[in-house]
Amino acid sequence: MYCSKYRKFMSVLVVLGLAAGMAACKPTITREDPNTVIDLSGNWNDTDSRKVSQEMIQDVLSQRWLSKFNASHGRIPTVIVGKVRNLSHDHINTQTFVSDIRRALINSGEVSFVASSEERGEIRGERKDQDLNASEETRKAMGNETGADFMLKGTINSIVDAIKGEQTRFYQVDLTLIDLSSNQLVWVGQQKIKKSIAQSGLRL
Amino acid sequence: MDIYSGLNRATILSCVSVLLSMSLTGCVGLGTKNESIHGALTAGRVGHALAIAEQQDLAHEDVLASLNKGMLRRMTGDYEQSNRFFEIAKLQIKALYGVSVSEQAGALIVNDTMRGYAGDRYEQVLLHAYMAMNYIQLEDFDSARVEMLQADIKMQEWGEQPEEDPFVRYLSGMIYEALGEKDQALVSYRKAKEAYKLTGGKQGLGIPATLKKDLLRLLTEQGLENELKLLQKEFKLENFKPESIPEGYGELVVVVNSGLAPIRSAASIVTSTGGEIVDTVKVSVPQYLSSKQPYSVRLTTDRKMSAGLETVENIDALARAALDDDMPLIMTRAIARAVVKHKSQKEVEKRGGAMMGFLATVANMVTEQADTRSWTTLPQTIQLTRLRLPVGMNKINVEIYNASGTLVDTIEKKVQIKSGKSVFLSEHWVAPNMASNIVADK
Repeated sequence: MYCSKYRKFMSVLVVLGLAAGMAACKPTITREDPNTVIDLSGNWNDTDSRKVSQEMIQDVLSQRWLSKFNASHGRIPTVIVGKVRNLSHDHINTQTFVSDIRRALINSGEVSFVASSEERGEIRGERKDQDLNASEETRKAMGNETGADFMLKGTINSIVDAIKGEQTRFYQVDLTLIDLSSNQLVWVGQQKIKKSIAQSGLRL
Repeated sequence: MDIYSGLNRATILSCVSVLLSMSLTGCVGLGTKNESIHGALTAGRVGHALAIAEQQDLAHEDVLASLNKGMLRRMTGDYEQSNRFFEIAKLQIKALYGVSVSEQAGALIVNDTMRGYAGDRYEQVLLHAYMAMNYIQLEDFDSARVEMLQADIKMQEWGEQPEEDPFVRYLSGMIYEALGEKDQALVSYRKAKEAYKLTGGKQGLGIPATLKKDLLRLLTEQGLENELKLLQKEFKLENFKPESIPEGYGELVVVVNSGLAPIRSAASIVTSTGGEIVDTVKVSVPQYLSSKQPYSVRLTTDRKMSAGLETVENIDALARAALDDDMPLIMTRAIARAVVKHKSQKEVEKRGGAMMGFLATVANMVTEQADTRSWTTLPQTIQLTRLRLPVGMNKINVEIYNASGTLVDTIEKKVQIKSGKSVFLSEHWVAPNMASNIVADK
């Protein structure tokens, strides 16, 4: 009697173990809409990056600097992206939202962009190579680059308050647009994100 | 007739002693993975140690395996991959947050190794320090800064001042200073000073002379006269005139990680609460054997400049102090486990007879193993110096001396010093010819 009960119990355990093992072997992959909000760790994520870039774009295009520049120069301004420093406690790839902002501004037709300093190095290398190897008709000459009117740069900061499994994270993104001829700040954008994270003190 | 009664006592005892020796081998088995890595490292074969480590934990589930892989990659100069493994370790540590009911039950029934190992607090903070030092080597100071902020949050979360790591605070200050954030650097140097005063005793360290000078220098630069005078008095450096880096000079910060952190071994006792075999219980707890004398390090340059390095972190002492702090809990669990195991042996004997009781006793003794896990690829000590050097290429000799003052190895390096800037040189030294072996193994 005891043995039969024990055997049954062991068989159930083995079946459950095998099922769990099989489930563990196969990764579960679900395709998600890029706009879906998924918060896993509480760290800075794609949703934060998207939210910040969308609001910054709306703000930068709605301010007076743009119309003032158009009126005084009779053309759209040319902007260059400078450094966006990550001063937060997360390893944040600032390139994602900087490229979001750049794309939206270019597509708006209100602003044109020139290549960043890293990109320029590569392009100048290519022009140098063309000087030696490309035909005269297709060769691009040095010294014809468009000089930027404004530089976009900024910082991401964070403040974290933490105690035993609970955290409040506050992110602040500051972007500034600086007039390269006068060093004047023509636009300052700021976005704030606050998150509360509670981690259970118990696990299985 | 009971089977057990058919066996004579001598036979059973010899069986038990064989199984006991198996059990002791099992105790060593826990540390064997680390010991083979340790063995390769003490022979100066980092490449071989890395090859052993990379065969372990292919599913990335073990914090210690990731920490070892990260540290060994760092020793071979592969800083990007080192940080990749350290980042995996961070995620694994995060997953082990909180108390696991099943692991606690396992620790009560089987042994302490049933509990997930997230690393001791000093190990968790040093993980950020080594990631920061990797980023410095990769000339990514902003990311090094991120690591220091994460270490700060970790220390803040624990909420207890004695858990502050003075070296991590000092390193934070140096990173802020290299980034030109002098206010932040001053805050970190102040915290480092306080942490050395509060917790330095645990490590057998006072406030390092370099930190004292850095604090006085920044206070002078920022014109904080009152604090400057107070600290000059406290440090007995009333006549010290702090100076900024002169024109045509830059600074070299040398960090040398020497030796290896101690390995935990098992201390076991077998005791009997009565005359029967089933009354035998074994208790195993971790221990550290006596510590090795640390190496001392000296720096000489081709321009006839020299400086001795100061110990800024004594990991050997930290590891021992951490075990001492944990020992009351380890002992409590070991005693509770012995009671549970003894009761189970008696119960099995009552239900299944003497032979089953005997087998349960043997099983309990074999499974009783001390938890000897710790991050053993950490160095024994971290030593540091800051030296002003003329701009341009400087040849540096890092000289390693043993406890009796004999020169055991010299690491030759070339560093490009930039005007008014700090250049960081970070080296690991475990055994002579380590650097040449790394090149040979590649």
